[in-house]
Amino acid sequence: MKHAWMLAVALAAALAAGCGTKKGFEVPGQAFGCPIGDQKIASMEDLVKAKVLMEGSRTTVLPTEMRCSRAGDLLRIDANLNNDSRSVKRISYKFRWIDREGMRAWEEEAWKPLLLYDNSNLMVNTVAPTNKAADFRLILRSQE
Amino acid sequence: MNRCHKFALLAALAALAAGCAQPVTRYGDSKGVETVTNEFGSTDLQTIAESMARSMQQAPVIVSGNLPIVTVQEVRNRTSEYIDTRAITDSIRSELQKGGKVRFAVDQTAMKQQTEEIKRQQGEYYAREQAVEKGQMVGAQYRMEGNITSIVKQVKDTKDVYYKFNLQLWNVRNGLLEWSDEKEIRKTTTRG
Repeated sequence: MKHAWMLAVALAAALAAGCGTKKGFEVPGQAFGCPIGDQKIASMEDLVKAKVLMEGSRTTVLPTEMRCSRAGDLLRIDANLNNDSRSVKRISYKFRWIDREGMRAWEEEAWKPLLLYDNSNLMVNTVAPTNKAADFRLILRSQE
Repeated sequence: MNRCHKFALLAALAALAAGCAQPVTRYGDSKGVETVTNEFGSTDLQTIAESMARSMQQAPVIVSGNLPIVTVQEVRNRTSEYIDTRAITDSIRSELQKGGKVRFAVDQTAMKQQTEEIKRQQGEYYAREQAVEKGQMVGAQYRMEGNITSIVKQVKDTKDVYYKFNLQLWNVRNGLLEWSDEKEIRKTTTRG
């Protein structure tokens, strides 16, 4: 009986530990559904740092959350952009698509203008233009 | 020389200098955000084309992977300004074609050139065995058409333009609407 108790406790502890981790059911090479290769991504902040680039004038608008999934064989991305300032921010963004060899999978996208109200969030979503796109970067710049 | 004469001389020199200034031409970023006026511009065209092509790629008839054949029909310009809607559909077609999930059949505007080429190849100057035959063209399964509309509001110092681009994919055989999406753009110009 004592053995059965211990087994039950150990099983419950293992289950709790498994559910407690953020990436308990992540596929290897992915974080929050996004491709990360062999990079060490332990948190959402790490993922944002790995996937977001600033070009031109820097902006204080940054994603607070990024998630990826598949639409057929195409990579689908959701990025929640946050403006935590007390003023309206105008930015532009584009995605850069990278293939399995680390080369550009698609030509450079056009900059897309965006307006974020003060203290607000805006979800930007896209889907890869080709199934050759295995990874991506979200590029932001200020339009102020 | 009194003060008035000095002022007139300076003004004349400034006008001369401005008149002599050479215009400068530089290459710009074709993908950059363009806000020269609030009329329909390159950023609007690129944003609409990209948004529509990416959305259409997720349509069930395209995700199925059967390489559906599409023909491009008219995008009606219902705005108050001149917009080359063919440039928008050409960009959408290019992006979808490069994505490799859709094939395009010859559309109405290119039909004349297509049939003339077939007729030309059937002339006496071409080798019979290599010339294309009549009746071999493949019809489209789907047709793409749309509208662009605008609402313009203007007061003394402010002009606001709202564009709505709507695109639809119709099944030619049964007349069902298989996919549709919209893209909205708002631009406001204020003086001073």
